[in-house]
Amino acid sequence: MTIIALEMPGKPRVFARGWIRFLGLSPATCLLVFFFALPMGMMIGMSFHNPSSQGVSLLSYSRFFTDGLSLLGFWRTTLMSSLVAISATLLAYPVAYYLARSRGRWRSIVFAIALAPELAGVVLRTYGWLIILEDRGFINDVLLHAGLISSPLPLSKNLFAVVIGLTHVVLPFAILSLTTSIQGIDDNLERAAQILGAPRHAVVWHILLPLSVPGLISSFLLSFTMAASAYATPALLGGASFKVLATMISEQVLFYIDWSFAAVMANALLILMLVISYAGIRFEAGCRQKYQSVAGGMK
Amino acid sequence: MNRVISALFWCALALVIAFIALPIVVVFAASLSPTGDVTFRPWEWTVKWYFDLASERWLGPFWLSVKIAIVVSVVSGAIGTVAAYVVAYEKFAGSEVVMAALLSPLSVPQIVKGVAVVLFLSVIGLQPLLGTPALIAGHCVLALPFVVRMVATSIANFDCNLFRAGQILGANQWQRIRFILLPAIKPGVLSGVTFAFIISFNNIPLSVFLVRPGETTLPITVINYLEYSLDPVMAAVNVASMAFILIVIFSFEKLGGFSAQLHGGSK
Amino acid sequence: MGRTRLIFTVSAFAVAALATPLRAETLVVNSYGGPYEAIIRKAIIEPFEQRTGIDVVYDPVGSASQDYAKIKATRGRPGFDVVVMTASQSLQGCKDGVLEKLDANSIPNLAKLSRRMTETAGPCGAVHEVQYMSLLYRTDKLATPPVSWSALASSDLAGRVVLPTFQNTMAIYLVEMFSLMNGGDLVDNLAPGFRAVAVIAKQSIGFEQSSAILESYIKDGTVWAMPFWSGRAQLLVDSGLPVDYVKPKEGTIPLVATLNIPIGAEHKDAARKFIDFFLEKTSQEAWVGGYKVGSARTDIDVPAAVRARQITSDADLNSLHLPNLTTVAERLPKWAEQWERDVVAHAN
Repeated sequence: MTIIALEMPGKPRVFARGWIRFLGLSPATCLLVFFFALPMGMMIGMSFHNPSSQGVSLLSYSRFFTDGLSLLGFWRTTLMSSLVAISATLLAYPVAYYLARSRGRWRSIVFAIALAPELAGVVLRTYGWLIILEDRGFINDVLLHAGLISSPLPLSKNLFAVVIGLTHVVLPFAILSLTTSIQGIDDNLERAAQILGAPRHAVVWHILLPLSVPGLISSFLLSFTMAASAYATPALLGGASFKVLATMISEQVLFYIDWSFAAVMANALLILMLVISYAGIRFEAGCRQKYQSVAGGMK
Repeated sequence: MNRVISALFWCALALVIAFIALPIVVVFAASLSPTGDVTFRPWEWTVKWYFDLASERWLGPFWLSVKIAIVVSVVSGAIGTVAAYVVAYEKFAGSEVVMAALLSPLSVPQIVKGVAVVLFLSVIGLQPLLGTPALIAGHCVLALPFVVRMVATSIANFDCNLFRAGQILGANQWQRIRFILLPAIKPGVLSGVTFAFIISFNNIPLSVFLVRPGETTLPITVINYLEYSLDPVMAAVNVASMAFILIVIFSFEKLGGFSAQLHGGSK
Repeated sequence: MGRTRLIFTVSAFAVAALATPLRAETLVVNSYGGPYEAIIRKAIIEPFEQRTGIDVVYDPVGSASQDYAKIKATRGRPGFDVVVMTASQSLQGCKDGVLEKLDANSIPNLAKLSRRMTETAGPCGAVHEVQYMSLLYRTDKLATPPVSWSALASSDLAGRVVLPTFQNTMAIYLVEMFSLMNGGDLVDNLAPGFRAVAVIAKQSIGFEQSSAILESYIKDGTVWAMPFWSGRAQLLVDSGLPVDYVKPKEGTIPLVATLNIPIGAEHKDAARKFIDFFLEKTSQEAWVGGYKVGSARTDIDVPAAVRARQITSDADLNSLHLPNLTTVAERLPKWAEQWERDVVAHAN
């Protein structure tokens, strides 16, 4: 009986020739180049272009910074996204903790409920909030009938409504992100503290929350970026006077067809996103270092 | 004190779950109510709004959305799978850079992608592409990173000893791919395809700029209508749309069982 | 194997479904959405499609000023063939050279319209409807009908009014009226008008663009009085709601709505047929009856009830304040910014 010693260096290659590789990548490359890379490049270039003159011009940029409305829209976008990120992260925490720590049948149900709204689409959920919050909507109807208020509370067509609607939209992603990070916290730490006699509030305050900080921050940043680029919810729940960057950009593109100005606003939004994402990556790397040293190699 | 904390936790959990479910329940109730106000009087419920859906003004956009979603999921599924295979399995020099490039659209907001595409098409004079072709291409760009990521994960979990075993047993390249690799990455591919379908069908920010009168997708038609009125037919449209998506997911699950992908193991 | 077949059939179906079959002539009509779409479809579009066999594609995106911005930005090739705008945009578009000139040779029914009314819109607009800005109020909430526009600023209507956004033409009309009432005029000195409307904005529940949403507020009693188009106001009265509308003592401004063809439209012949159809006697009668508006045609049968309260004759038109629409069109963008700064910013 012969022992066949199979020395197969490296991974078995399915395709011997290298050009097959590029063949495989070419459809994806074509698609991304023609419908992503080139358009993005052209858009960035367009922002430096002035329709009435040739060559490079900063006209649209100066309009962005001086006309008052653009910067107001930028500020509104940032404010709205921050509020959404805070509330989404806070609301996501209990659910994420539950999903991270529990097992069994109920877990799947909660998981499904947490993610199902994403399938419903943004419009269904935004429309739902509109019905709930508007002046003759669900909440006001109940309060008026109960005699608690005499005229409707202005709950819709303002920042409040948009924040609620967007929180609802980004919540599934915040939950998913937080669940993953809480799963990364060794639950033995909590158990050890309890065995040693710590009451639950101490466990939460001294162990759980500090270790959750990286996850909380990345959930915050994820929610922020999703909210900043949202279009449908601010348009429907914010009313005509609540304009954020996304709705202002769409107005420029659909009606005024001022490509240059639209490109400037789009670049502004892009820069906002990239700055926030970059901050997130740096923060996460820093936190991981800190965590390694604190946990002292425990996990 | 422990009990207080526990109680607070369960309360918070219940409230958040209620918050998540509230708008969906409300829309469902509104779609059945005779006046469109939200009432929970089941004896007054009527399905008359659902009959309004049978008209061309809703069916037209619906079919367009379905057509586009099918094409997008097939195309991005195929392109993404092949690309993911090349990058994740072959692992040549610079494959990490290529992977990053394939995933790069994720970091750009959809609305910016949409503006870029419509600007690009207008400037190079390909405006007639707006409508169905631009929508398909735009949605593919949107879906591709997700497909690539899901398939790549599947491939990363693939045990290449299986290939060796096939080689030993005499299978040639194509047989190895067809009978060993493809079935193993099926959950990843199918979850990518399903995801692409949902993203395409429900998409708004990207599609806003790529539609054209007469070739408008269902979600865009709905938000255009909502700018003018809060007709209860909207509620029926939304509920029907969600039901459709659930059916699609259910069918895909039956076809390929990608819940395995979610649980991280083989079925 | 079965799965491969399935994928192939699905793709084949998709490709087949995508291939658009040869269609009849098409026409893209841009107008307003929501419930208005239902009215215009029934009264005008469906009969037109039946008569001519032309396939009408309805484009509900954009208010009149947004549509005009698009026409101008695309130099007359906005993607639609016929659009509903107002006399203001018609005059401006003619001047800017982005709207097609319409004449009675290609659109015979133009000759049947009152000369005075067609003058207001110029050679690039076909007047298909005339309304005016009225003051709509709840008869069950107000003890006596309001007689003046200043009722909107009175303290008993605090939190009981709603204002349109600037995209809705009523906004600038309101500013112009209040200007007239406070020592300014219709086009040159609007500062008193902006000040007065800013005061109303403080007690308004907000700003809305579409008439359909504005009217929902007065329907459920949230709002007790608001400016509203006379035709739609009449529709509300007819629907049995406890509302009524008046032409305040200071007068008001008419809305001359027009059909226009962008100069780069793809289907100009079909567009002209559509306008001619809309201006026919039977169509105008259907429109007047269905939408409760006034018509520029001089020879139609108008129900007495409509004749009493809508603009149906030159005399009616002359009794109202008509600003120089060309000047209005020129200054509209500047006024839009002033509205944002002086009115919206000071609202609650």
